Amino acid sequence: MFIFNTIAIFKKEVKSYFTSPLAYIIAAVFWLLSGVFFVELLLGQEGIIQQVSASEQLGITGAIDVAYIFLNSFFAVMGSLSLFILPILSMGLYSEERKRGTLELLATSPISNWVVALGKLLGVVAFFIVMILPWLFYEAIVFSAANPPISPGVPLLAHLGLILLAAAILSLGMFISSLTDSSIFAAIITFALVLLLWIVDLIAQNVGGILGDILKHISLLENYNNLVQGIFDTSNLVVFASYIFLGLFLTTQSVETIRFTSQ
Amino acid sequence: MIKVEHLSKIYGSNAAIEDIHFSVRKGEIMGFLGPNGAGKTTTMRILAGYLPATEGTAKIAGYDVHRQSMEVRRRVGYLPENPPLYLDMTVEGFLDFVAQIKGVARNKRNSKVDSAIQRCQLSERRKEIIRKLSKGYRQRIGIAQAIVHEPPVIILDEPTVGLDPRQIIEVRNLIKSLAGEHTIILSTHILPEVSMTCDRVTIIDRGKVVATNTPSLLMEQLKGGSSYEVEVEGDIKSLIPCLQKISGVNTVEIDRTKSNLPVNRTLLQITCNTDTEAGKEIAAAIVNQGLGLLEMRRTGLSLEDVFLKLTTEESTLEE
Repeated sequence: MFIFNTIAIFKKEVKSYFTSPLAYIIAAVFWLLSGVFFVELLLGQEGIIQQVSASEQLGITGAIDVAYIFLNSFFAVMGSLSLFILPILSMGLYSEERKRGTLELLATSPISNWVVALGKLLGVVAFFIVMILPWLFYEAIVFSAANPPISPGVPLLAHLGLILLAAAILSLGMFISSLTDSSIFAAIITFALVLLLWIVDLIAQNVGGILGDILKHISLLENYNNLVQGIFDTSNLVVFASYIFLGLFLTTQSVETIRFTSQ
Repeated sequence: MIKVEHLSKIYGSNAAIEDIHFSVRKGEIMGFLGPNGAGKTTTMRILAGYLPATEGTAKIAGYDVHRQSMEVRRRVGYLPENPPLYLDMTVEGFLDFVAQIKGVARNKRNSKVDSAIQRCQLSERRKEIIRKLSKGYRQRIGIAQAIVHEPPVIILDEPTVGLDPRQIIEVRNLIKSLAGEHTIILSTHILPEVSMTCDRVTIIDRGKVVATNTPSLLMEQLKGGSSYEVEVEGDIKSLIPCLQKISGVNTVEIDRTKSNLPVNRTLLQITCNTDTEAGKEIAAAIVNQGLGLLEMRRTGLSLEDVFLKLTTEESTLEE
């Protein structure tokens, strides 16, 4: 029952993206930008291939794993780009339901707040996965020409990292969306949160000692970079899972509070 | 089927509802009548499992709305004041979604969605996007989502508000057709609605139940008998004590609300006990006094009067 209900909410969310002009616009912009960055980072003036051939001309030789370096720089940029896009994806998750009064329908149906929140989160994560799917084509073309060949685990881990990063931020964004019935307001606050996470990451990198260590452990971007670099560590997964769970938990509590306080 | 006992909801220091109690039998349509802000929506939200009450309990089909919320929600169809619609969905897509989250089994879903669509006369529009449909259609979709899982109890909050007269009649007929197999509570502040659709009425004002009965008995109970409106010509000074002596007559009052009467004419409101028929004696007394009896009419208080009376009585108490 739990699973069927979650799937019902999930399907409703996914379908809503197909009828939303905003979703198409976001996807189009995201595809355009990611495509431009991909080409620039690979073939542009400052691109990896230019850099390598320049250093070869200077006589610096040595084993350079071009594919790996490219993957790292591409996913670093894509991580940042996603941070701008994600608040827009999560902003309407609950605020629209509040505005339309449909939250009352969900809250009076025999499904728990957890089911609704989980279904919604899975829906928006699925949409994000669809947004990064086209990359597989580019990557397949580029990495098939890589010499030495890149191990398939590395790009897979990078994708997983990006999806987890997105899921964590979307989960927190979903909570913020449940606090208001204005989507724009939810987007702005979520964006502020993203900036805060960014600052935490900056501090983590520049402050040494215990504080720096602690911040490095909880910084989403730090954990993301680890996965992108191909370092698989369950502690990274635990951090992401914790953020996702935190967002879900806060969302369910917030929806419960709406019930108690609505007039 | 529905039993509400000592239900209270308090926001800070304000009680939205206080000690509400009523019960609804299976298959009945119960009208929940009261002015805006009387606490109708709050009560219905508690019954639908949306709001928790501060005190008291309500049971639906034997399940407690607080402790067995999920069981209650499975058995309740609820239409809030603003129909909760996903505007980008088609009519049937929306109803299918609602059926899913209300726990309708996959193999029964299509037939239940079809029957809700038919009952609410949405067949021609089933493939259309809800955003494109008028207020009347949206209200019917709202009712359709409340009945799609065939719940034993249906709660409708102001189901006819904002509709045009033709749509109102359609919606009322639809609601009446649902009674019998479903137990229905509907709230309204429109009086003719209860006398037209409901088997029983609970009147609520400022969060408290003021009266519960069938529409016709409620009128009897409140008017406490029949009354007459009499227009007489001449000096009525000696007439009034004379009328008050007639057995069965309760009160005699001069009605000054009609201002266009000629100077020597008076309008009297006479109320009598139910079991006596004092009309004959009243007429005889007027004629014996040598006055002109210009008009005599028996007036039953309409529910509208009952309602006015109830609310005015309450407000004088408060002041």
